[in-house]
Amino acid sequence: MTPAKQIGWGGVALGFLAFFIAVPPITVRTPIPIALVGLLAMTAGLLAYRGGEKRLGSGGIVAGVLGISGGYAATQSGESNLEEVVVWGALLASTLRYATPLTLGALGGLFSERSGVINIALEGMMLMGAFFGAWGADVTGSWFLGIVIAIASGAIFAALHALFAITFRADQIVSGTALNLLAVGITGYLYVQIYGDEGTPDDLPQVPNVELPIQSVPFFGDVFGSLNLLVWVALAMVLVTWVVVFRTAWGLRLRSAGENPLAAETAGLSVVRTRYLAVMCSGGLAALGGAFLSIGFVHTFSQNMTAGRGFIALAALIFGRWRPGAALAATLLFGFGSALAQRLPVFSPSGAVLFQALPYVLTLIAVTGLIGRSIPPLALGRPLSKS
Amino acid sequence: MADSPALELRGITKRFGPLVANRSVDFELRRGEIHALLGENGAGKSTLMNVLYGLHQPDEGEIRLDGEAVEIRSSSRAIGLGIGMVHQHFMLVPVMTVAENLVLGAEPKKGPLLDYKTAAERTRELSKRFGLAVDPDARVQDLGVGAQQRVEILRALFRGARVLVLDEPTAVLTAQEAQDLFEVLRALKAEGTAIIFISHKLNEVLDVADRITVLRRGEKVDTVPREGATERSLATLMVGRDVLLRVEKDDTTPGESLLSLEGVSARDDRGLPAVRDVSLDVRAGEIVGLAGIDANGQSELIETIMGLRRPDEGTIIVAGRDVTHAGPRDTLAAGVSHIAEDRHRRGLVLEFDLAENLALREYKTPAFSKRGFISPKKMVARARTLLKEFDVRGGEPETRAGSLSGGNQQKVVIARELNADPRVIIAAQPTRGLDVGAIEFVHRRLVEERDAGRGVLLVSLEMEEIRSLSDRVLVIYEGQIVAEMPPESSEEDFGVLMTGGGRRTEGAA
Amino acid sequence: MSDVDDELPPDATVAARLATYVRAGGVVTPLITLLVAFLFGGLVVLITGHDPIATYKAIFNGTGLNWFFPWISSEDRTIAALNLQQTLIVTTPLILTGLAVAFAFRCGLFNIGGQGQYIVGGVFAVWVGSSFEGLPSLLHILLAVVAGMLGGAFWAGIAGVLKAVAGTNEVISTIMLNWIAIWTGNYLFNLGGPLQNSNPAQKDVPVSNDVLESAKLPVFWGDPQLQGLHIGLFIAVAALLVFWVLLNRTTLGYEVRAVGFNPDAAQASGISVARNYVVVMAVCGAFAGLAGTLDVLGWQFRIATNDIQTSQLGFFGIAVALLGRNTAVGTFFSALLFGGLITGTSVRNLDPTVFEPALATNLTYMIQGLVVLLVSTDVLVIWLWRLRRKRRSSAVLEAA
Repeated sequence: MTPAKQIGWGGVALGFLAFFIAVPPITVRTPIPIALVGLLAMTAGLLAYRGGEKRLGSGGIVAGVLGISGGYAATQSGESNLEEVVVWGALLASTLRYATPLTLGALGGLFSERSGVINIALEGMMLMGAFFGAWGADVTGSWFLGIVIAIASGAIFAALHALFAITFRADQIVSGTALNLLAVGITGYLYVQIYGDEGTPDDLPQVPNVELPIQSVPFFGDVFGSLNLLVWVALAMVLVTWVVVFRTAWGLRLRSAGENPLAAETAGLSVVRTRYLAVMCSGGLAALGGAFLSIGFVHTFSQNMTAGRGFIALAALIFGRWRPGAALAATLLFGFGSALAQRLPVFSPSGAVLFQALPYVLTLIAVTGLIGRSIPPLALGRPLSKS
Repeated sequence: MADSPALELRGITKRFGPLVANRSVDFELRRGEIHALLGENGAGKSTLMNVLYGLHQPDEGEIRLDGEAVEIRSSSRAIGLGIGMVHQHFMLVPVMTVAENLVLGAEPKKGPLLDYKTAAERTRELSKRFGLAVDPDARVQDLGVGAQQRVEILRALFRGARVLVLDEPTAVLTAQEAQDLFEVLRALKAEGTAIIFISHKLNEVLDVADRITVLRRGEKVDTVPREGATERSLATLMVGRDVLLRVEKDDTTPGESLLSLEGVSARDDRGLPAVRDVSLDVRAGEIVGLAGIDANGQSELIETIMGLRRPDEGTIIVAGRDVTHAGPRDTLAAGVSHIAEDRHRRGLVLEFDLAENLALREYKTPAFSKRGFISPKKMVARARTLLKEFDVRGGEPETRAGSLSGGNQQKVVIARELNADPRVIIAAQPTRGLDVGAIEFVHRRLVEERDAGRGVLLVSLEMEEIRSLSDRVLVIYEGQIVAEMPPESSEEDFGVLMTGGGRRTEGAA
Repeated sequence: MSDVDDELPPDATVAARLATYVRAGGVVTPLITLLVAFLFGGLVVLITGHDPIATYKAIFNGTGLNWFFPWISSEDRTIAALNLQQTLIVTTPLILTGLAVAFAFRCGLFNIGGQGQYIVGGVFAVWVGSSFEGLPSLLHILLAVVAGMLGGAFWAGIAGVLKAVAGTNEVISTIMLNWIAIWTGNYLFNLGGPLQNSNPAQKDVPVSNDVLESAKLPVFWGDPQLQGLHIGLFIAVAALLVFWVLLNRTTLGYEVRAVGFNPDAAQASGISVARNYVVVMAVCGAFAGLAGTLDVLGWQFRIATNDIQTSQLGFFGIAVALLGRNTAVGTFFSALLFGGLITGTSVRNLDPTVFEPALATNLTYMIQGLVVLLVSTDVLVIWLWRLRRKRRSSAVLEAA
């Protein structure tokens, strides 16, 4: 890493630090140290900017500003309120939960986009998974079968996207948007038809939590002691995805289809088949994320419950340069934003509402700010020429 | 040599809509021979080979391997039949390593995982066996062109090719690298591999081929053995007439400098240096030709001049005005016109009609607009005049530009650019894809502009065009101007300079 | 697969593709697209145990479009009149949100942010409309309209600037801005929020102040007390004209179209692609913001947090624009169609014994989705094109 890059990342870290010292457990109450750290962050950002790292530098400056404002706001709040909100253990556990659908969605998007097909329909696939997961669990009485049905529904729905994007060579963003609309319509229609006014039953089978025997361990016990199974699955999937995409033969073929499909074709591969599979994988993974929402987290289904998470997952993927590890980092960041926003009603109800916008603001900053122009797979979005 | 030929193509016909790329072509290849496929650009050579490789399906005709009829519906089938292809535009994945590119489609596995070690080993084995030096762990995008080609060839051999097709392989090689390649081909030939060598370079074909088949406009003209063939006889077969494209040109005395570059450097889209310390002058009343092999920085140089690319160093002055950091608008306003090398990409808006296209530079001028409102009627009227003056056929001002033929489209571009009354004209591949009549028109027009006191920078891959039009010729190689030559210099002299003057380029170890 | 696609390079812009399809298919294809979408919708209705014919009929009656039939009874006519007013009330903002998407598409941009721009426009309108007591009506309305349009323009402009300066994909940025607008709007009118109404009797209601009489748009058909049709419709139709003139008769429109068809050629000719992105997004935002404004000043007269959460008019704009092939005339008819659909399936107008309105709303989503899906490839166009070519070539053969 060049010195400019190091300084830039240092600036971002300092920005976080400015906020961090104002909240428990450090809970600095005077604004001066916060301002100092924040200014240090901004200086580092400026230096990085001058040193050629324009985006990272701006990111550092932005982080500094956010850190100072967040830290300042913390100093102005009641200490007891702060202690209620910033319980790091619970906060991080919450982060992992909020991040899980995003992670699964991002991983799904990774498969599709690495093969060269833009997947704007992650949102729709997630929604399908949310509904069919709930419905499946209800109808079969088993959360496991619910998950299976959810994944299947996502894969089938994704096959539709594949059909239009690959075989019919549609504009992939328009067709993806169409699928999102379709998903809202289909899931809403079936929901009203089947569950009508009462909504999903209260005794909907739930994906169980994994109770680790570390509950009494300070901090780690709070964070990892009682997480849902699908949270662990999501984390495991990050590793699995990395291995599959970067260390197996199929992964090599997948990536070649996305970088230079002609090279893949002339090596004897069927790019069409590879892409179909990749897109269906993405549907299955996104649907799993949606199933987590309905039968692992909120324990019910409501219309349009994904609320834009599919897009945040896509943003995390882009932020993470189409790599599983970095995408995970991004989803954790966004998850943190949501976790924080959820605990804020303690301060002021209307303010809390405003903070619901935080994950979207973070996403917006992320896709324009910090990381330089992410280079996508070379052939992303280009339909195959026919012969 | 076996009894039946290794490969036979009989009566292959391939159409693309109304265009007949191959018409009833017969082709025969024996084991252990190097058979050249010769023809001009657009003669149908690549199409024929793509049919062989399963990338296209023939409309008529059949393919026979070792006497047996086969159907090749996909590249994997072709590979399975032992046909390997080294394409003109490399079919490699830039971000992947040499070893990864090689094993793609036939990956060695260790359980579920890819066996990278074995892949690298196999790469080294093959590399040694065929004398093609490559580094298995290097990323393809970091390699020089010669090295990339070696990887392409190894890729085909890795899959056990017994019929090897090379499409214009020397287009991007230095003279020395080309000789190295021919050595490799001769070695392969000795092992019994049958080789098809596609080219439009007569001297090379005579150097390495055993037999030569000539295609012209999609049809096979003749197959001749190397003995007895000369460059002249082959050229006549290729073109069908005695071609000597000569343009009538008076002598002129060049005047003041209209376009002046001093020490200009710029990088390409990947951040690598593409234009290195280029200085040149185009004076009034002269045509300066810029000769070079494709992808040696010409495109980036033009983009830098036109303001589409930011120069890292140097100055660019047009008729006394400094346009070094100017964008396209200001550069055009300073008096530069640009006949783009890709008329579909930079030259025309195909969805616009001709009137709108012709107005692309002037739509904001008072002639066509008032207070922000444009007058289509005025555009149409002006278009009518221009279309007549430049003899554009195939459309009215209201015709969509996309429906015109290539030659007429180019005329529209030229009409617009010349009508803007420039001081300097940058003509990049101005006759690419045009028929003879259109080519003559363009050449005549450029000479007229020069005679009228304008400066012309002619960038072209066609040596004949450069030599017949230019008053002096600059040679560009790897982003640098390496020489200035009189246009009467021989093709060999130019060739040597255009390929680096015989020195080795950087390749992988 | 197709001959039409032969004409298009693989990286053709959306604008170029749609233009080719318009040339190839004309008016017939949107109609057929609609037919297919409705057919599928009917299939879904049938499979889930309802009567598709009766359903569509009930929806149609709810639209009020039967008012145009001269043969219906006067009793039915009164009901139809009321329904038609409702339909046209919904058509008004749909025209504008449709234009907000269409104009962007013409420039090669995908504006999914219509919903957020609509909300921001509405917020500005309700704020101006409920303040400044004592202004003459015309001035007050004008002020509120300008405020709403500027608000929408600003909101969309953010995405435009981000695209111009940082190359940010406008799909993601506009979607994010949508959600930010929704939550910010919610915050503004929520309990304790800065724009919550100042009426002490309504302290616990998360709603804005009411729009003053002087800022309300006059009603020209129907009873103002019963939400009659306001003059916003004319403003929307005027916007259609502005759209057409802007696109086809101004230098801005020329640049927009050039950039939309071929940004490389446009740039090489000196057109500033970045500047156009910003201006186009701002104009689109103004259209969408105007939609929100007209709704607020025309019949809503106040904004509640619930309205913000449930509004979907911005999203409908996408289907409206695409079905209408991004043209002015197409957008009008498209907006009328979807306006009818929304009205016909509303709780007020749809008889629940025939078909549950909640189901019908989701049916509308599905139809929307199908329309957009079919437009994305225009499979139908291609099929029609081939038919035409076959007929033409056989005609040539016969003549030969």
